[in-house]
Amino acid sequence: MVSDSITNASASAAPSPRDIGKKKRTNRSAKLKQSKLGLRREQWLSQVAMVNKGENGPNRKSGNEKVVPVENLDGKRGGGEEANHHESFMESISNSPSSILSGINSIPDFSSGSSSGSGGSCSGNITEEEDAADADDDGCLDDWEAFADALAADEQKENPPPPPQSREEHSSVIKQSDVVVRDDVKPTISRKQKSNQAWRADDKLRPQGLPNLGKQRSFPVMNLHFNSAAVPSSCPICYEDLDLTDSNFLPCPCGFRLCLFCHKTICDGDGRCPGCRKPYERDTVKVEASVHAGGLTIRLARSSSMFCRS
Amino acid sequence: MIDISRVQKELQDCEKDRDSSGIRVCPKSDNLTRLTGTIPGPIGTPYEGGTFQIDITIPEGYPFEPPKMQFSTKVWHPNISSQSGAICLDVLKDQWSPALTLKTALVSVQALLSAPEPKDPQDAVVAEQYMKNYQVFVSTARYWTQTFAKNSSLEEKVKRLVEMGFGDAQVRSAIESCGGDENLALEKLCSG
Repeated sequence: MVSDSITNASASAAPSPRDIGKKKRTNRSAKLKQSKLGLRREQWLSQVAMVNKGENGPNRKSGNEKVVPVENLDGKRGGGEEANHHESFMESISNSPSSILSGINSIPDFSSGSSSGSGGSCSGNITEEEDAADADDDGCLDDWEAFADALAADEQKENPPPPPQSREEHSSVIKQSDVVVRDDVKPTISRKQKSNQAWRADDKLRPQGLPNLGKQRSFPVMNLHFNSAAVPSSCPICYEDLDLTDSNFLPCPCGFRLCLFCHKTICDGDGRCPGCRKPYERDTVKVEASVHAGGLTIRLARSSSMFCRS
Repeated sequence: MIDISRVQKELQDCEKDRDSSGIRVCPKSDNLTRLTGTIPGPIGTPYEGGTFQIDITIPEGYPFEPPKMQFSTKVWHPNISSQSGAICLDVLKDQWSPALTLKTALVSVQALLSAPEPKDPQDAVVAEQYMKNYQVFVSTARYWTQTFAKNSSLEEKVKRLVEMGFGDAQVRSAIESCGGDENLALEKLCSG
């Protein structure tokens, strides 16, 4: 069934240059891939079981929901181009199936890290879709997805990768916040150009629409804190009311809030936080500046980090 | 340009819990640049029972600059000048923070009364006495408290001045013209 869909897909995607002699190879590799998919499905299912035990579902779900549209888009967009890469992918499968399998084996580890790249979460997601639709004529998507996995597996082999780093990110939240902010601020110009590539978590050109699990986990936490934390209604320095911008403004890790005017006055003077008397960090101020250009989302990311710290 | 609204709100806040804290801040002038703070002497110290008045001047840069504070009541304390009433306290200098208020600054001054720092003295004579002869220091401080920081009623002041040999009506008018200040009234009586 899968093999049929694949040949259909490749035929429709790239009709002329492909000759029938390659069909055999395609079938063989399709079998390989089928077993691979079976393997991955098992892993994903056990992974989901683990996740459901460990975490509450909603976070996870929201992550998946976000993934679906992006993945579909990329899959469709990549469809045409993907046919060209198809061959090389097949070769890589038939030449070195073991490398791919080892790559797959490492996937759970990869995606269990907080900021798994698209590799882990996407593959899981697709498998789920497949379960639901029971391999309808989505051969194109299958190919794309497998190809992306192969790429991810290769890349992962080459530069051994994010999981430990992503855990560090959780412990040193300051760093994480900076990373997050920068990711968000970066424009996603070249997203369309390289739409058929698997994104690594630390990829510069990674579309911002792709979920970053580390980020997603931090959001609900932040929201809890954000609602419960006491945001003063007036500036403790000038006693004027804080507006929306002011109340989202957290210039110091100690959590002392004040209005932008007073902050400016202090920075013109000795530049020490009135709450803890420590000098304001210059980096923090810089980030704040970019934050104003960036908008609400980024501010939230920042304040989440503040709350995590405090 | 002084932040008038902040000073006004501080005065209101201070007025709210003046019974519990015992700390008062009253404006001396209409433009709120000069105020008078009043703190009770901490219990269990030689200053117990006294009420100490502090002259407060709000600088231009307030609250980004600390308020200027000086005892107008005479105090015998290592960190307060027995001559001028100048206060040696970090939060009124480099450790000032705009998040502090007149009331919290006065609370800090009150805390200074109960915890002198003779190693960082404002008045060297008092500090030396505190270090070398603590008992004498305590009795001197208590005597100054009794003498200068006791709130006495008008009748007590009149009685004391009359005992010095002045006429009753003369004493009353002198006290009234000096705003209730017994020492100024005495000076006036002596000169006039």
